[in-house]
Amino acid sequence: MSRRFNHKLESQPAPAFFVRGPSPLARLAFFSALSLALMAADSRLQYLTSVRQSLQGLLHPLQLLANAPSRLYRDTNEYFSTHDYLLNENRSLKQYALKQDVALQKLNTLELENNNLRQLLQTNKSIVETSVAAEIMHVGRDLFTKKIIVNRGATHNIVAGEAVVDATGVIGQVTRVYPLSSEVTLITDKSLAIPIQVERNGLRAIAFGHGRDNTLDLPYLPTNVDIQRGDKLVTSGIDGVYPAGLAVATVSQIEITPDSPFARIVCVPTGGVENHKQVLLVSIPHIAEPVETEIVSPAKPDVKVKSSESKPATTKPSQKKAKLEATKPQLKPEIKPLEEPLKKPQVNLESKPSAIPQPNNTSKPHAAE
Amino acid sequence: MPPSKLKSLYLSLILAFVFLLLPWSGFALKIRPDFILLVIIFWLIRAPNLCNVGTAWFLGLFVDLATGGIFGQYALAYTITAFFAVTYQRRLVLFNHTQQLFYVLLLLMISQIVLLILKTFSGAESLGWAYFLPSLTGILLWRAAVIFGLNTGGRSRGT
Repeated sequence: MSRRFNHKLESQPAPAFFVRGPSPLARLAFFSALSLALMAADSRLQYLTSVRQSLQGLLHPLQLLANAPSRLYRDTNEYFSTHDYLLNENRSLKQYALKQDVALQKLNTLELENNNLRQLLQTNKSIVETSVAAEIMHVGRDLFTKKIIVNRGATHNIVAGEAVVDATGVIGQVTRVYPLSSEVTLITDKSLAIPIQVERNGLRAIAFGHGRDNTLDLPYLPTNVDIQRGDKLVTSGIDGVYPAGLAVATVSQIEITPDSPFARIVCVPTGGVENHKQVLLVSIPHIAEPVETEIVSPAKPDVKVKSSESKPATTKPSQKKAKLEATKPQLKPEIKPLEEPLKKPQVNLESKPSAIPQPNNTSKPHAAE
Repeated sequence: MPPSKLKSLYLSLILAFVFLLLPWSGFALKIRPDFILLVIIFWLIRAPNLCNVGTAWFLGLFVDLATGGIFGQYALAYTITAFFAVTYQRRLVLFNHTQQLFYVLLLLMISQIVLLILKTFSGAESLGWAYFLPSLTGILLWRAAVIFGLNTGGRSRGT
């Protein structure tokens, strides 16, 4: 009887006043410690990236729901845009396309010529990038950083590190990839640096985002540096991430103070960092690294004849080996290239560069080991 | 516990989350109130048996995910805020609306200050006083909700 009574008491919902569980202070301590641990783990170790990716996939439907109103607004706006406006836009776009076509024709011939010249010089092929068009979903929600989220992600073969450009210039770089979206850090973000070149005189420097207002800084340049207001900064391309020659910023302000050894240079980005909807994600160019070293040894046969000592300078590992193996192997590399250039013109050499150096190259590593 | 209340708790949280995920930009982003924290504070005051410090922590994690920052920043800020909300919950129910408003402002500021400290540690630049605007818009939203009949447990001045 009494047990049943007790049971009855327990099953009753307790008033809100009494149900507290562990004290708030205990909970505070526990959860604070947990979040501190999480912060440390996330900033120092890479374990949480996969967790983040999968959770982001979970958030995606909610994100689509949240984007629906603005999307609907835009779509209806487009639908009801007037006939005249569309006609005008169409006309101007056609003119623009015509202009670009002409420029493209020139570009094609230039590219062919460039390729030919490069082949003659035996340098590696100029970099060919592929790009994916993407649309900006929303601006990053963190006020402290300058980021945007675009609607292309890992499923569209986007990888972190890709350059993001729009019609007018570089916007930023992909820093985090989710399954269906990716996060782009803008060039105006404090944590992003971009190697640039002054278009006028070819001076190379690195531009850093300023963070607060939409500008870039060119720090660590001496006060007597040859930079003027209005100078255009383009990507230098030596970083292997951004294709060379894309517009980045224009210099808007130069301050030289006598107490500082460095000039303070402020630049305004040319790309529409905050006002475009479509952007282009440019893949990281892959340069075939080993090809270069292979080509170097047989490429200039005429040089090799006169300087057997210049050759080891280009391929260092072979130098040690050559010393180790005294006479025998030294004959091989010298005789072979000598025969080849005599009977074959340069053009043939290019066509199958891999066939010649391979015996050399394969024999070298073996001997080294 | 009444299931209807629990259901409305979940619904309000999801709604707050959708509001957070709206494509805010420019000035709107700068004054965007912290919807999730407001909803958490409301439920911590109204139904402390349904949610507690742990709930705030968990939701903070989701906000961290949505903002794309380091995991645990919002979680810690929300945890500390929820602690202060829970500790003074019994007194808070006795406050009148104006007093409650000030208390909510204080709570929102606490979360922002914690976040500011964490961000400063990680090397972010300060945003000036405008950084605290979301707290002000937050209490405006709270006030509007009270005017439109949301029962936040506060007493009106007369009673």
